[in-house]
Amino acid sequence: MSKSLLVISRQAPWSGPSAREALDIVLAGGAFDLPIGLLFMDDGVFQLAPHQNAKAVQQKDLSANLQALGLFGIDDVFVCRHSMAVRGLTPPTEAQPLSNEAISELIDRYDQVITL
Amino acid sequence: MSTLHVVSHSPFSDSRLDSCLRICGTEDAILLCGDGAYGLHAPALHTKGVKVFVLAEDMQARNLPLPDWADSVDYPGFVQLSIDYDKVNTWL
Repeated sequence: MSKSLLVISRQAPWSGPSAREALDIVLAGGAFDLPIGLLFMDDGVFQLAPHQNAKAVQQKDLSANLQALGLFGIDDVFVCRHSMAVRGLTPPTEAQPLSNEAISELIDRYDQVITL
Repeated sequence: MSTLHVVSHSPFSDSRLDSCLRICGTEDAILLCGDGAYGLHAPALHTKGVKVFVLAEDMQARNLPLPDWADSVDYPGFVQLSIDYDKVNTWL
C-alpha cells in the first residue's frame, strides 16, 4: 500500500509558482494512483475564486488544472472554512469546507504532508 | 498520530505560525528555526500550550532568551525529533 499524502496549498495563484507546483504534485500523485488529498488554506483559498483572468497579467490559468483533479481521481479536496470566512468568501462546491479541528484530524489521517 | 511542525518564518511578518497554531493537534509540537526562532517572542505560542522546540544555533545567533516553556535542540536533536514524531510538516 502506498503512503498517503496530503498537500496543503496556502499561496495565492499570483504570488509565485507555489500554487501551480502544489497542484502539479497532486496531479502527478493522482496519475500514479497514490492516495492523495488536497487542502486549500490561507491565501491558497483564492485559487478557488471564480472568473479570474490570468491573461490580464500574462499568466496561465490554474482553473484547467483544478478541473483536472476529478479526471485524475482526486476526490479528497478540502478548504479551510476559517480562511474562506476571514476573506469574505463562500466555500465552493468542488471542495469540502473543514473547521480548524477537522483540519487537525485530516493531517492525522495522512502518512505524509507537504505544505507549500 | 503526532506531527512535528517546522516553522522558519518570523511570526511578526508572516502568517505561517498563526495558521500552524490554528490547526495544531494536542499531540503535535512546533520546531522553530531560522527567523521562526523569533516566535519565542510571540505570546500566542505560549498560551496555546503546544510543545515548542527551537534550534539552538538560530536562537543563539539572534541572542534570544530561552523561555521556560520551550526546549532548545541541536541538529542531531532535530533529526531525533523528526523520528520521534509520526510525520514532519514543514511550512515552506
